[in-house]
Amino acid sequence: MSRERDRAGDGEIGGVESGDGESDDREIGTSESARAAWRSRSSGTDDRRDSSRRGPNPSVRSDGGTEAGSNWGARWAVARRELASLRSEKTILLALAIQLFIAAFSSFLVVGLVSLSDPGAVDGYQTEIAVTGDDTDTLLAVANERDGVTAQRYDDRGAAYDAFDAGAVSAVLDANRNDDGQLVVRATAPESGLQTTLLVVQLRDTLEHVERVERQGHVENRRLEQSPVPVPDEIEASPYVGFTYTILLPLLCFLPVFISGSIVVDSLIEERQRGTLELLRVAPLSLADVIDAKLLATAALAPLQAIAWLLLLSFNGTAIASPVALVVLVAALSLLVVAGGVAIALWAPDRRQAQLLYSTATVGALVLATVLPEHPANTVAKFAIGNPTPTTWVLLAAYGLLAIGAFVALERGIDRLERDSL
Amino acid sequence: MSAGRLRGIVSRTARIARWEVARSAGTVDRKTALILVVMVAAIGTAGFSVADEGLGLEREIYTVGVDEDSRYYDVAVDSEQFRPISIEDVTTDGDGTAGTIAVRDEASVDVVVTRDGRIGHLGDNGAAAYDAFRESVESYNGKLMDEEADQAAAYPVLVSIEYQQRDLGGATDSGAGDGAGDGDGDGDGDGDGTDSGDGTNGGSGDGTGGNTDGSTGDESGADESGTDGTGGSGTDDGDGRTQVPNVGDGSTSTTAPDRPGSISPPFPFESLVLAFLFVVPMNFVIQAYGSTIMDERVKRRGELLLVSPASSREIVAGKTLPYLLGLVGVVVAISWVIEGGPIAVAAALPIALLFLGATFVGAMLARSFKELTFVTVTISVFLTTYTFIPAVFADVNAIALISPLTLVVMDLQGEAVRLGEYLFSTGPFYLGGAVCFLLGIGVYREEDMFAQKPIPAKIVDAIANRIRGRRSVFVLPILFIPFVFASQLLAVALLFVVPQAIAVPLIIVLAATVEEIAKSVHVYAGFARSRFEPSLRTAAMLGAFSGAGFFVGEKLTHVVQFVGLPDLPVGTAAFGPAVSDEPLILAVVFLAPLALHVVTAVISALGASRSRLGYVGGLIAAILGHAAYNLGVITLVA
Repeated sequence: MSRERDRAGDGEIGGVESGDGESDDREIGTSESARAAWRSRSSGTDDRRDSSRRGPNPSVRSDGGTEAGSNWGARWAVARRELASLRSEKTILLALAIQLFIAAFSSFLVVGLVSLSDPGAVDGYQTEIAVTGDDTDTLLAVANERDGVTAQRYDDRGAAYDAFDAGAVSAVLDANRNDDGQLVVRATAPESGLQTTLLVVQLRDTLEHVERVERQGHVENRRLEQSPVPVPDEIEASPYVGFTYTILLPLLCFLPVFISGSIVVDSLIEERQRGTLELLRVAPLSLADVIDAKLLATAALAPLQAIAWLLLLSFNGTAIASPVALVVLVAALSLLVVAGGVAIALWAPDRRQAQLLYSTATVGALVLATVLPEHPANTVAKFAIGNPTPTTWVLLAAYGLLAIGAFVALERGIDRLERDSL
Repeated sequence: MSAGRLRGIVSRTARIARWEVARSAGTVDRKTALILVVMVAAIGTAGFSVADEGLGLEREIYTVGVDEDSRYYDVAVDSEQFRPISIEDVTTDGDGTAGTIAVRDEASVDVVVTRDGRIGHLGDNGAAAYDAFRESVESYNGKLMDEEADQAAAYPVLVSIEYQQRDLGGATDSGAGDGAGDGDGDGDGDGDGTDSGDGTNGGSGDGTGGNTDGSTGDESGADESGTDGTGGSGTDDGDGRTQVPNVGDGSTSTTAPDRPGSISPPFPFESLVLAFLFVVPMNFVIQAYGSTIMDERVKRRGELLLVSPASSREIVAGKTLPYLLGLVGVVVAISWVIEGGPIAVAAALPIALLFLGATFVGAMLARSFKELTFVTVTISVFLTTYTFIPAVFADVNAIALISPLTLVVMDLQGEAVRLGEYLFSTGPFYLGGAVCFLLGIGVYREEDMFAQKPIPAKIVDAIANRIRGRRSVFVLPILFIPFVFASQLLAVALLFVVPQAIAVPLIIVLAATVEEIAKSVHVYAGFARSRFEPSLRTAAMLGAFSGAGFFVGEKLTHVVQFVGLPDLPVGTAAFGPAVSDEPLILAVVFLAPLALHVVTAVISALGASRSRLGYVGGLIAAILGHAAYNLGVITLVA
């Protein structure tokens, strides 16, 4: 049964286009990448070196040039095809859009969450609270010292609660001393979603301050053996720094790696399932070369995206120390993950299982990485924030070596792979 | 349909479903299963060790220069985020003036603690590091206090919090968010007076006040009474105002007295957790579903089924059924875990349906596995956003009900959900899912499944397949209404917090664009696939039919009126002003859109009858006309 492939419009399947009979005697079913590889080696003398790594149709060269040079040309052709298919399918746009969206979304969330825990960041937010009960002096003094809180004393409890119900005050604090000398405060807050959260956070901060003052008093009257360490004063600080360096930046560094691995798994599995991998076998390239090219092309995407994100972040005012180290880290991880993806794609029976294995493996790797002295996300954070420890550098070197080791192991494994089992 | 035919359809569908289950259950072969088990075991053990220590994402990201004898050294060692450096390496001799600390040039510390206890910070992240150090000191103090014998002195303040609803003079404060607080006080037709800043804290104008609960008039002296968090749905002033879903702490009873540090404010983003909880497990089922649909297209495998007596509808139904049942199982399991009731299941089910439908269309249109993966991820990200973002505005019930998750939240808090609210929330999902399946089945045929056509061509195919004469031209815009509705609602929700000066024009243009596309794309598809004669007369007639169909569908969406959406200016921009009382104005208001839709649809149809470029030109002209009409209406009425 002849295999007919419809001419591709804008898209193509896994880098293979229908032949259009350009070259003279290699028409039937040759992929364009193979043709391009073919074109890059003109006819000439045989090159017997490394013949075991060559495909079943080794070409001849007229100028007797080195095998490596022409091989790289062929690989570059395959790599170019791989990247071109990404561009024509616009999947890379989707990938970028998804990453941008996730970054923006998480930032939006965090800004929201942080402003809840730090209402001072919201300008002009004033809360009025009613203070009532037997022992109100400390509470009043502390509350009125704080920004954003105004405390009013109500001698009559009922009046305080009436004011609360009428909406004149946002909360009621009913403070009494118990027998142990503790200040027992009953707080009443309205139930109204976001506003409640802000209010409760302010109440908590106020009461913690009161707690400090009271403790100081107890130190002086010897009830406490150890005095608490003096707490430094509050200052204006951006509350998003921790999030940016420890969560956002690692997210933006690891997502491209994950996406690259997913692309290569899909790409190879597709070639296997559609049978186009067979077609590439008639090319002058060996299977190892083809897979190399795909691997390197896809793995190179991640550092490029990482560079783009780093530029974007520094544009937005986040200083990144050691960007080179970060890019090297991302490149190493990308090579590692993509090599793993290739191994999975060559081994798994079909797409569903391949994707399942890949997802489980990457999530598992992230979880297992916690047994390392430093989690990879922590490594990224330390490089970016400018405080790398010797451990951090050692881990960077380790990732690099691991990546190269995985690559080499993959090459050896492919050489020993049964072609026909694919 | 005769009983015999029905039985035939059911049996064929059931057989295909059985094959699907047998095939997918059998595809995880033993090697893979073994590896998966090993991986999960490894992850599990690592996970348990992680659970104790935490992920350590913030370990030692800041450095502090401190003397070893100082108490702050213990703080630094104890904290996770700080790495202590000896003070000699950091400061120079002679500690500068009283206000500054002299630091060596090559020192790269974030916080410095001198011997006499002054604390300073430097560098870009110095302020943040200082803040973090402050928190570390406080948590260290907490640990010190835990070791004290006299716990009453160690924790001299005890707090208990009680959350109460309060009745703020009978008006609902429905301004939410930070930007759009002012100005949403018009359109009082249904008594939903929006009265921001009504006696609540002044200053910020973000009047997210408490909700009204007309039945509780007894809030005074309510020291001991626990509150009734269940806002009774008896507050029906006859205006169909819906209940505000209360994303509070859930528990309205008084908390036991405990130290201030233990106060945990109510987490207002419950809906986010729910969104992830529902959508993420659905993802796994969807991945498998997308794969299986795509597999039919590889190597023309699906051709065998296509030539069998089973129709394409039966094939798709049979293939989808196991995954649908799987999703139902997932939804029921999750609802059971979060202790929701049947309403939670009923609210999450349409999300699953739309997910399935969108994946189906995606798998039919995708040209490669890569594309399918990304399309699937995009769909799940979009669905998560669409279900999460509106639910954030829990205080503005009209916006919040755009997302079915609000219904789940209401169910979890024991509030009654009315049928109108349920339909409003889930209607777009049901209809959208149905339309997705219809379109996908339209391309479930040999010419589109095994060909690598560009995607716009396939979409045009899918739509053109549904056209069988003029009646389809009338019906199709009605079918597209859920997508129009959904995109307009999403736009309203997203732009709700943007200042009105930007949001309203943007909404006008977006609404016009979406509606014009819905009215004209099928006409274009009909012309492009030669279903109709490309004459001007035909184009005008088709445009008229299309516009009329859309008008009819639009009237059906005036259920929106009953949910109070027109009170928000952004909502007015999208859906038109609220219906007023005079009959003449009513008639004009009722029929004017018909004229608008017919005219604009005819314009784009005329363009479509020519060529694709003509269609684009006609479409742009129609959009401009529509936007101008919208603008005119708003300025006239407002």
